[in-house]
Amino acid sequence: MGRKKKKQMKPWCWYCNRDFDDEKILIQHQKAKHFKCHICHKKLYTGPGLAIHCMQVHKETIDGVPNAIPGRTDIELEIYGMEGIPEKDMEERRRVLEQKTQESQKKKQNQDDSDEYDEDEEPGPSFQQPAAQPQAGYMPPMTQPGMPPGSSAPGMPPGSYSGMPPMMPGVPPMMPGMPPVIPGMPPGMMPMGGMMPPGPGMPPMMPGMPPGIPPPVGHRPGMAHMAQAPPAAGPNMLTRPAMPAATAPSAQPAVTKPLFPSAGQSQQTVSGSPHPTPSTSSDPSKPTFPAYTQATASVASPSAGSSTVSKPPSTVTSKPATLTTSSATSKLIHPDEDISLEELRAQLPRYQRNIPRQGQATVSAPPVGPLGGMMAPQQPGMRHPVPGQYGGPPQGMPGYMPGGMPPYGQGPPMVPPGYQGAPPRPPMGMRPPVMSPGSRY
Amino acid sequence: MSLFGTSAGFGTGGTGVFGSTTTDSHNPMKDVEVTSPPDDSISCLAFSPPTMPGNFLIGGSWANDVRCWEVQDNGQTVPKAQQMHTGPVLDVCWSDDGSKVFTASCDKTAKMWDLNSNQAMQIAQHDGPIKSIHWIKAPNYSCIMTGSWDKTLKFWDTRSPNPMMSLQMPERCYCADVVYPMAVVATAERGLIVYQLENQPSEFRRIDSPLKHQHRCVAIFKDKQNKPTGFALGSIEGRVAIHYINPPNPAKDNFTFKCHRSNGTNTATPQDIYAVNAISFHPVHGTLATVGSDGRFSFWDKDARTKLKTSEQLDQPITACCFNNNGNIFAYASSYDWSKVRVRLYSLLCAERDKNTLSEINKTTS
Repeated sequence: MGRKKKKQMKPWCWYCNRDFDDEKILIQHQKAKHFKCHICHKKLYTGPGLAIHCMQVHKETIDGVPNAIPGRTDIELEIYGMEGIPEKDMEERRRVLEQKTQESQKKKQNQDDSDEYDEDEEPGPSFQQPAAQPQAGYMPPMTQPGMPPGSSAPGMPPGSYSGMPPMMPGVPPMMPGMPPVIPGMPPGMMPMGGMMPPGPGMPPMMPGMPPGIPPPVGHRPGMAHMAQAPPAAGPNMLTRPAMPAATAPSAQPAVTKPLFPSAGQSQQTVSGSPHPTPSTSSDPSKPTFPAYTQATASVASPSAGSSTVSKPPSTVTSKPATLTTSSATSKLIHPDEDISLEELRAQLPRYQRNIPRQGQATVSAPPVGPLGGMMAPQQPGMRHPVPGQYGGPPQGMPGYMPGGMPPYGQGPPMVPPGYQGAPPRPPMGMRPPVMSPGSRY
Repeated sequence: MSLFGTSAGFGTGGTGVFGSTTTDSHNPMKDVEVTSPPDDSISCLAFSPPTMPGNFLIGGSWANDVRCWEVQDNGQTVPKAQQMHTGPVLDVCWSDDGSKVFTASCDKTAKMWDLNSNQAMQIAQHDGPIKSIHWIKAPNYSCIMTGSWDKTLKFWDTRSPNPMMSLQMPERCYCADVVYPMAVVATAERGLIVYQLENQPSEFRRIDSPLKHQHRCVAIFKDKQNKPTGFALGSIEGRVAIHYINPPNPAKDNFTFKCHRSNGTNTATPQDIYAVNAISFHPVHGTLATVGSDGRFSFWDKDARTKLKTSEQLDQPITACCFNNNGNIFAYASSYDWSKVRVRLYSLLCAERDKNTLSEINKTTS
């Protein structure tokens, strides 16, 4: 479907920013999603209509339009289909669409799936799924068995991956207009085939995308990054399947690649630099997944203060271990630093006391430097919550001499006479009896 | 030392087996508590192999010790012996004949503990704490595989002080598993490497991680013919990936599932996501058990892709788990794993900063 300018653009829902093929569908969507009474499920025609219905029939007031994105919940605005949309929102929409078309020209079409994947937390499970997702999004007209456009959610929770298989094989045939790359490339890769002339690829894609758009869109930016380097991406893509294709998962790597672009990028150069792709976190744009991307950025920043201090893998803050999940929906119960819990714990002076060290400056433990920085703030706090929380470790705890203990490598000398190295002795009630734990043995 | 001298009763670590005992959140499943647990968190558990009669459980802890209990058929546990390292013990494993126990520690050494003589001698040395240790029994060789934070994977013939082989890894070893002829190692920075052990160990393939967060634990599973065919990989983000090495249809066969998270489907409150601390496969049924920082353990069927059971919540994270050789006993260790340290600290001392952060997030989203 080409971009016929209807009312200057395709019909879209003002309440939730989704695109639709035509206005009738848009209206059906609005009636079902935004103008439906939550009490009796009656579908009204407008927002105010819904408000009045609830008041008269159920004696209830509603303060916002259901299922609307923040900022678009105004119940008093009379919007029906495309009518009634405030001018400035129209313009904003137009602008956004302009940007999108430009980007899609640059074939970003790639692995938005990583986000998509995350988005569909419910179906969550199969990481393959997202690959199929965009497919579904892209071609609603095409019969995608088991994959209703834009709704990966359907009963995915462990147990139903049935939709998947049919998807995969089904895809290639679906893409008539797509150059032959497809067969070789698992799902959704078409557009991206960085090798593919993005132009011809794009238009056919667009129309097919209505429901799919919001989600994938959000990723474009991320994709754009990758896409920016078509030459890089290109060879990668190609080599992927070519690669250890011998081992069955030739599809495997290829599939995972798109699914985890950032991962893909980094894993690609597996030999060298495990690097969370900057694109994911540094990506400032697209509000589509503010929760995901931006939370990452903003959550990462405060913690960046402390964690960047720590790690050599400083790129870390962007991705792993740092509480990357949006604070609104979920939170990782894990310290910010991207090192394993054991490494974190092994740094504690308590556990280094007896370890023989032969001038091995920086063993492996990255946190050599950070130790200094990290320890101090960490230690004191640590003792506190812990006893309360678990009543566990405190056993020997009181003996901690926080801070001081610089790197690993200096354990032994410090050890016996209790930690002279501890400059800041936080008045934590961490008293001297350092040796007490030792007495256990 | 034949018995655990110092502590008796329940210390900071608790190991549950089967049966019935005390209170609620400490032991909500009313499982048997192993007597004389270590004084600090338990990092690893291992049951004796089928070649030995009876069930012996080995547990390594952060108190630098490794303890051995005999688990009797009535569920009672009898402390048998103990060995010490000079640093926290991170991993333990048995030899295939059940006569030796190998222990790996933060003191950068690994020891071989002969149970008959109750003597332990050092058999390996690394430049950094050794995080994983496994016994490899191949038709033409036997050795110990040690993975360390010094980014190397070394193979040791226990009779020689020098490694038979040393393989470089891209990053620190975080967890590993061996089921001949396959070995898999998960490293920092989400690295994942599969090794093949026939003739001699060699790197087979580096795999793009199916997970997006730090790797924490890995366990190999076998197919119906009892050949290793894939592995389960757990991360700190409450998720486990089931990954086959050569699946007929990777897109369809490999998958991930979420686990160890709070408030299931309730989306009103933010969900707490916990790390998966260990994964263990049932030797007979092929079902898997996962234990997490949320203090629960769950059993899953990876073929039916369903959850079989989740335990009640314990008051401490569960740090290690293990099935015995016939799958009749499941042991899990409940002890603090440091997962909440930062979070607590953060909330106590940085409330102010938290507020600002939160408001920033709100601004950007609206």
